[in-house]
Amino acid sequence: MELIRQAGARKGARPDTFVGWLFVTPAILHTIVFMAVPAAGALFLSFTEWDMTSAPRWTGLRNYQEILFDRDLYPDFWISVRVTLLYAVLAVPAALFTGFVQAYLIDTVRRGQGFFRLAFYLPVVTAEAAVAAIWRWLYDPQFGLINEALGLIGIEGPDWLGIPEMVVPALVLIAAWQSGTAMLIFLAGMKGIPRNLYEAAEIDGANRRAQLFSLTLPLLRPTTFYLTVTGVIFALQMFGVVYVLFGRDIGGPESAGLTYVLQLYVSGFRDGEMGVASAMSFLLFIATLLITALQFRLSRRDAAS
Amino acid sequence: MTLLAERTRPPVGHRRAGSRSGRRAPAPLRVVAFLLLAAGSLVALAPFAWMVATSFKQPQDVFTSTPHLLPTTEEGDWAGTLANYTEVFELGGFGGAFLNSVLVVAVLIPLKVFCSALAAYAFARIPFPGRDRLFAALLATIMLPSVALLVPKVYVTQWLGMADSLTGLIVPSLVSAFDIFLLRQFFLTHPKEVEEAAMMDGASRLRIFWSIALPMARPALAVVTITAFIFHWNDLLWPLVILSDQDNYTLPLALQALASGRVAQPHLVMAGAVVAVMPVILIFLIFQRRILDGIQFTGLK
Repeated sequence: MELIRQAGARKGARPDTFVGWLFVTPAILHTIVFMAVPAAGALFLSFTEWDMTSAPRWTGLRNYQEILFDRDLYPDFWISVRVTLLYAVLAVPAALFTGFVQAYLIDTVRRGQGFFRLAFYLPVVTAEAAVAAIWRWLYDPQFGLINEALGLIGIEGPDWLGIPEMVVPALVLIAAWQSGTAMLIFLAGMKGIPRNLYEAAEIDGANRRAQLFSLTLPLLRPTTFYLTVTGVIFALQMFGVVYVLFGRDIGGPESAGLTYVLQLYVSGFRDGEMGVASAMSFLLFIATLLITALQFRLSRRDAAS
Repeated sequence: MTLLAERTRPPVGHRRAGSRSGRRAPAPLRVVAFLLLAAGSLVALAPFAWMVATSFKQPQDVFTSTPHLLPTTEEGDWAGTLANYTEVFELGGFGGAFLNSVLVVAVLIPLKVFCSALAAYAFARIPFPGRDRLFAALLATIMLPSVALLVPKVYVTQWLGMADSLTGLIVPSLVSAFDIFLLRQFFLTHPKEVEEAAMMDGASRLRIFWSIALPMARPALAVVTITAFIFHWNDLLWPLVILSDQDNYTLPLALQALASGRVAQPHLVMAGAVVAVMPVILIFLIFQRRILDGIQFTGLK
């Protein structure tokens, strides 16, 4: 019997339950304590009133009702939804477009590919707090470099962070500056396109522009889709930059820079309404799922047509 | 699915004149593209140059209507100073914050990489009942946006008595499902023969993991280590909700506190920003090819 089993089993594939569990226990235990328990807790807490000191009081759906429909109680909620959606709709295409142009140009040149890749990625590895600190100084209405540069070409720059209408555009400009991720992934996609496709196109008489629009762009559609989905998920969680950019003046002028997570942070950690903050967290989770599902659906319809 | 195996190859098209890239552009086009890129990289790097320049300026030279890149007076005389750095280190609490940041990453990163590698190896190589279902459950946690768990995670951390301490910055981040996923992919691509030969010689699983699998996985471990370092060194949100005592602040928090002061002090804030970003920029410059190629093949941020 023993002999048969040994012959039948592939060497090195015999179950090793004790050692296997030993290896995964730290990771599993940690995931239970810091992921599974909080996930269950988030849902439970969202149906309670809780200030983190006394015991949570069950209030059912009241948090959700008040957040979504009681504008007097939570006036900032819908403002932050609008700000965040506007930011996502503008910032993601801006970063993708900039990243694509950078990648396309890098793919064209012979020299300096490594350096350009580095220069465009540097803003991505910079701490959010530092990004905000630097740009706050660049946007300074009196001494800021941005308006100084605009002045050189005869444009009077606005007070970027002081006028409500200019706040989201200012954030979008920062997002375009941090286009390094899109640049890298587009570049990888371009390098992955087989050369002979271009050669065939050339033989068919397609010029460079035709190659770009009928070859490169369609072939990079999955890449674009991936970057759009991850970019939107990331944009919906925008927090660090706006938190530091406006400092004490949370959300900026007329809350024009009040992102969803920023007002969630204020509700939970400043106003001490942990139940409400949990409900907002859960709503964000649902919204992220819905928006992602919608993008998948749109892309499928796009591919079918 | 050999994402990580790709990382060990020489980078595609790097320093080799667009070798794999499909289009050989005519020379004039290449020149135009190069000039555009040169201008673009100047724009991308200008904020960094301005940050460094401002950090060496005296306050009276900061607020001028004609900006100078070099720290000079209105008359153009050299007026660079290190005073802003001594001031943020001594008065702005950056000395302590720097130490805290170093402590956190020095303890957290090796432990995190080790725990993730240990689990990843078992998921790739050690068969046991229920293993794959367990792995699928672990992968599902990647889908949860971290912000959505923030409130209860803070509570769990408090309940464990880790609030307002460096421990509270380290322990809750010790395992990353994403890193486990990446490392497992890498271990799966290892040739089995070496490990099987060692098994025949009676080596234990732990021994094989430590002496064979880990050394072979060095490129993947490097990418995971560096990306974890960059993330945790820069992280603002978690320290912000866990810490209250200024003595425990990490650099991003110290910078945030300095930047939200009532009086605008760009010369100090920029010196603080230089201190906060320099270590990451140095690490990035040293390992840039490895990092960029790694990210290119996995699409992680």
